[in-house]
This record gives sequence, structure tokens and C-alpha cells, in this order.
Amino acid sequence: MVRRSSFSIFKSVVTALFLREVQTRFGTKKLGYFWAIFDAMLMVLVFAGLKMAIAEKAMPGVDFPVFLASGFLAFFLWKNIVNRSLSAFSSNVSLFAYKQVKPFDTILARVLLEILVSTMATLVFIAIGFYFEFEIAVQDFNMVILAVLWLILFGFGFGLMSAVFAHFYETFGKIIHIMMTPLLFVSALMYTVDSLPTVLRELILYNPLVHFMEMIHGYYFVALDTKYVDYEYMLYWTLIPLYIGLYFYTKGEQRILST
Amino acid sequence: MIELRNVTKYYQTKHERKYILNNVTFTIPSGVNVGILGRNGAGKSTLLRMLGGIDFPNSGIISSPNSFSWPMGLAGGFQGSMTGRQNVQFVSRIYGKSEYEIKKVIESVKEFSELGDYFDMPIKTYSSGMKSRLSFGLSLSFDFDYLIIDETLSVGDKNFQQKSKTALRKKIEKCHVLLVSHSMPVLKEMCDVGIVVHNGQLYYCDRIEDAIERYNQINT
Repeated sequence: MVRRSSFSIFKSVVTALFLREVQTRFGTKKLGYFWAIFDAMLMVLVFAGLKMAIAEKAMPGVDFPVFLASGFLAFFLWKNIVNRSLSAFSSNVSLFAYKQVKPFDTILARVLLEILVSTMATLVFIAIGFYFEFEIAVQDFNMVILAVLWLILFGFGFGLMSAVFAHFYETFGKIIHIMMTPLLFVSALMYTVDSLPTVLRELILYNPLVHFMEMIHGYYFVALDTKYVDYEYMLYWTLIPLYIGLYFYTKGEQRILST
Repeated sequence: MIELRNVTKYYQTKHERKYILNNVTFTIPSGVNVGILGRNGAGKSTLLRMLGGIDFPNSGIISSPNSFSWPMGLAGGFQGSMTGRQNVQFVSRIYGKSEYEIKKVIESVKEFSELGDYFDMPIKTYSSGMKSRLSFGLSLSFDFDYLIIDETLSVGDKNFQQKSKTALRKKIEKCHVLLVSHSMPVLKEMCDVGIVVHNGQLYYCDRIEDAIERYNQINT
């Protein structure tokens, strides 16, 4: 048997796992394509509808459905990365029979899949936006992409840390799952931080996701700005979970494998 | 050659540690086919998993310059929601095969395993016999120094047992086998030396017949 370098093994394992995830998501469950856009689409419709029903005065210079879509797509990308990382070990446990497959690879493959799914969903949204002539022009494309990539890294670090903790303490995973629904409402998805009363504003800025959303919205819309975004705070939330996650993962890898 | 140095492996039960291996230092020489015997729960499968590099001792070192197959057992190794074909693709990919080689592997596994239409059905619909046919057929497509086989030879109907034994005999001309089995004829046929796992220790016997005798003594 030819010896391969660790990196080439790692590459072929992540590729194989990624293709396996694609097969399970879009192959056996035929509705995979539909679910990829469903949750974000539903949220946009519900909240855009609500807004119209209440007839609240719109944000000037912002097409509200586009505001919703950009936030929810990003939020669901983050949420799916974390959720899918949480279940990555347990759903791939039978593949750990092959010693090339490390638990870390399963998380990475899932993160890559979520990026693919989210990209597809975004393209569908853009097509819809074009067709119905929404104001989808972007103020600063590069910064929006940077914000999304940063958000992915945040999701990856947080997901890895949560997956390792949840493997040893099941409750931890449950708490993360439960947290996701309230997070939907306190992550500046249907409103801007600027529109909040001062007390709420200070509170909500402790949520790291708010900063990511404000960054995305601020650079997407000409009418909005990023004055509440604390980049240092975002950096802490990216690096610390990633470090903790990697640290405990390397300590616990053998125990994760042998269960 | 496989070297075990001060290897300890235990499972923590509610009240005590149950030792599979208790400070075992041991060398399995190269160039022999090894049969592994022991009572249920003695730790044969755990030993195979550790040799295969997917389980780890609590202390001590297991080292070998050789390559090992995955443990071919009744359980595990396959993802239930994937089809037989997808599983074969997956394993071929992690072993770094090219798309062309993967096609050839798929053909040969499909033919050997005699799964027919089930080859494109999810593994969770398989019987245990079908799973081991797939697993065994798949392992024949790769080159290892050691094949790790956990009882799979005794499943399947007579026809398939015969076929897999013939295939295995051909395969072990080029590689060696670590075989767990409760079937003494199979052990005698395939293995040169034997290891008996009992009470946290390994007992090595130069002849498989001696190992079988020792195992029979334990059982009485």
C-alpha cells in the first residue's frame, strides 16, 4: 500500500465526507433543494407581511424584504453551521470505523456543505429579487462578503466547541438548540440597532450576532451604517470559541472516536 | 509485525474497571496469519479495533510498520442512510482512489457481493449477511498488509461462505489476516498462530491448534 501524506489523506476524507453529505441532502431526500431556501423564504414572507399589515413606517432608503432576506440568509447560514456541527459526530459514528476519518473532518465537511447550500439559496433569492424588481443593489460588495466569511468562521469555531462539549455533556447541545429560536428575535434581523431604545440597544449589543448582522446590513444598504459594529468584540467571539474548541478537540479526539 | 508495549485497556463499569488488557507487552511476529480466540466479552473485538487504529489503549503503545484494513465486522463501517454503491464510493475516496479506479472497485464489489438491486438501496434495509458480503467484497479491492476480520466469515449462506473463503485464501497469498472467529475449522484453515484473550492477558501459541486447545480449557 502506497503511503500518503497526512494532508492528502485529510483532503480525500473531507472530499468523500462532503460528497456523502451532498448525496444524503439532495439525493435520498428529494426535497433537499426546496428546504435549502424554505426557512429563509418563510421568514422573509412572514415578517415582510407583518410589517405591511402593521403599516409601520418603512426604513427610508431600504427595501424591507431585501433587508430581511440578507439578514435571515446570514443567520440561517450561521445557525445551520452550528446545528449541523452539533450532530456531526453522532451521525457519522459508523464511518469512524475507517481510521482515516477523524471527527474534525465531519464538521469541516458539514460547514462546507452549509456554505454550498447557503450560496444556492442566495442565488435563488437574487433571482427572485431581480424578477420582482426589488432594490437589491449592494453598497460595498467586498465588505459584505468579508462579513459573511467572518460569520462562517465564527459559526465554525462556535460549532466545533459546541460539538465537543455536547459530546461529553449532552445537555450542552440541547441548550444550544433551544437558544436558536430566541436568537432569531434578538439578532437585529427584522430591525436595526439604531431603531431600538437606548436600554435595549445596550443589552442587545452583547449578542455577537447583532454585530455581524449590523455589519452585513450596514455595508449592504447605502442608507444604513456600521457605527454600532464592534470589530474587536466580534474577533473575541471568533477566536476564543475556536481556540477552546480546537484545544478540547485535540484532548478528546480519541475519546470521541472510541465511543 | 505488531508490537504492544505495556498496553492497558479497560472499560469503566459502575463499580469497577473491567480490564481487557492489563499491562500487556507482546509482539506478533510478521509473516503469520493470526487467529484470535476468547470468550464473549473478553475483548477480542476491542483488540482488533485497537490494532486497526480506531480505538486506543488507556495507556501503553501499539505500533506497527504495516497497514491494516478496517475491522470487518457484523456492525459498523457503513452509514445506514447511504446505499451500498455510495458506501463503496466513500471508502474508495478516503483511500485516495481516482474516479476511474472507483468505477472498477464498484464493478468488482457489485459482482462479488451478489447484492443485485440492493446495491442501490440504503444499507439500513440490508440483512446482516448482506452487510458482511458488501464489507468483505469491498475489502478485497484494497491492498493491506493485514486484513482484520471479525466473525464475518461465518455469516451468509453456504455458497457465499465457500466463495469468500476461496477469495480470502487467494488474498492471503499477498497479505496476512487477523481473524476473530468462533468457528474452529475456519481458524485451523486460515491461521498459523493463535492468540487467546482471557482475563486481561494475551496468550500466544505458535500453532493454532495449541491456541484452540487452550481456549477449550478456559471454557471447561
